[in-house]
Amino acid sequence: METTSRQIVAFGGGGFSMESGNPLLDDYVLGLTGAARPRVCFLPSASGDADHYIVRFYRAFGAERCEASHISLFRREQGPADLRAHILSQDLIYVGGGSVISLLGVWKAHGIDEILREAWEAGVVLCGLSAGSLCWFAEAVTGFHGAPRRLEGLGLLPFSNCVHYEPGSSRRRAYGDFLRAGMRPGYAAEDGAALHFVGEELSRVVASRPRARGYRLDAVGQRVVEMRIATTWLGDPGAASVVPLPEAMSTAVAA
Amino acid sequence: MATIPRILALGGHDFTTRPPDRAVCELLLKLATERAGGRPRICLLPTASGDTSEQIGRFYSTFGERACEPSDLSLFRLGRRPMALRDHLLEQDLVYVGGGSLLNLLAVWEAHDIGAMLSIAWREGVVLAGQSAGAMCWFEAGITKSSGKPLSAPGMGLLGGSLCVHYNNEPERRAAYLDAVGDGMPGGYGLDDYAGLLWEGTGAPSAVTARRGARAYRVTADAPGATPPSSAGRGASSVTEAPLPARFLPAPAPATLREDIVEFRRLTRMRKRAGWPLG
Repeated sequence: METTSRQIVAFGGGGFSMESGNPLLDDYVLGLTGAARPRVCFLPSASGDADHYIVRFYRAFGAERCEASHISLFRREQGPADLRAHILSQDLIYVGGGSVISLLGVWKAHGIDEILREAWEAGVVLCGLSAGSLCWFAEAVTGFHGAPRRLEGLGLLPFSNCVHYEPGSSRRRAYGDFLRAGMRPGYAAEDGAALHFVGEELSRVVASRPRARGYRLDAVGQRVVEMRIATTWLGDPGAASVVPLPEAMSTAVAA
Repeated sequence: MATIPRILALGGHDFTTRPPDRAVCELLLKLATERAGGRPRICLLPTASGDTSEQIGRFYSTFGERACEPSDLSLFRLGRRPMALRDHLLEQDLVYVGGGSLLNLLAVWEAHDIGAMLSIAWREGVVLAGQSAGAMCWFEAGITKSSGKPLSAPGMGLLGGSLCVHYNNEPERRAAYLDAVGDGMPGGYGLDDYAGLLWEGTGAPSAVTARRGARAYRVTADAPGATPPSSAGRGASSVTEAPLPARFLPAPAPATLREDIVEFRRLTRMRKRAGWPLG
């Protein structure tokens, strides 16, 4: 038996939440499971388990290509009674966007943080966008709650993380400031780019849009060194590079 | 401006136009207006529901027509509408906490430090109110179904003792409460839907009821050995439930817009159109 690989795919933004009509990132994470009909569980905790978001998940992850479920921590009387057994039986855990601070609070209250670590070690692929990316890292930059803030995540990945790393954004500037102030080095991803980690190492950066990129950031004294990482566009390079623009950002999207 | 710390804990109600719901709304408005000495600010914290549109919508449809300034502080929706949390909470006359998951409510509040802000607001005289999870959160402990079946869970502890809501409407919750108090959880109160308890300053609360037959109970563990006839529960000690005398809250007539509100709104619209500052 080969050793189980621990995998996390952290989207800077994208997937069904932000790119309706562009399934490239969602297809990529489904493909990583190696299952013909993967079991996928959506965790919409960062949105407060918003109904409209859960509906969009089921639309995007139809029965023809996977076995989809979700866990609503605000409505525990519905859904699986044994959270641990349910999560550990999945091939892919997909974490939605929203408030990462609220997400981490609610997860801790229900012991989801420990279960997810166990699932990761057991080979369940973990992924998510925005808040669903930040949560896996030791430190993160959130811009959801007003001015960008520094916070601690679950720490499965011993780096810092910044999502929606768009040129000129306040998050981008804030991340540099935090790194200069001692935040550990880490990775950032633009909307449409995803950081794929195997174990605790970055394996590759993939993207649903031809120009979306991932970055490695380090602070050298008071200087921040930003290194652009070669990124694989998941679309057919021969096809016209017309990729739909992200939908208007909903509450469930921005971390 | 009144600075007596006040908390109104409600066993269960909704924001509808049914008479008992109107009576509860009237009491909330009265407490807020007493504090403000004028047009009060009333803020909904819908955290326990996950900030559902339904809870927020019902709150506005109830208070939007009344002489007050309603707002909501939705922690899951800050991405769309960032707010200065502390400043907003401290400038309210009444903060109303909606129902839902007690476990999630306290976890999310802790993550955003809302508990500390509400403690300060309470001491400064901002009325704290809420139903169900939004009532139990103020106590040392409550009985929540946040994980599916009823279990005891800690609250913020602004008020000593414990609270169990939906008391006679959810027999399994009441049974879990009586067992927990028998097994050493601090005693406290049981509240039926449409019954409430109002704490004003220190001392004993006064009970209110918006529906005939809805009651508030004092629930205490008996001294070991003693077994009064009214005892209940399967815990280690027997537990006594004593109904409290309650003041009946009559339902006001269905809301019709007062002339001054109509006038105020007309003025507000004019000011908005003209780009003048409000107030």
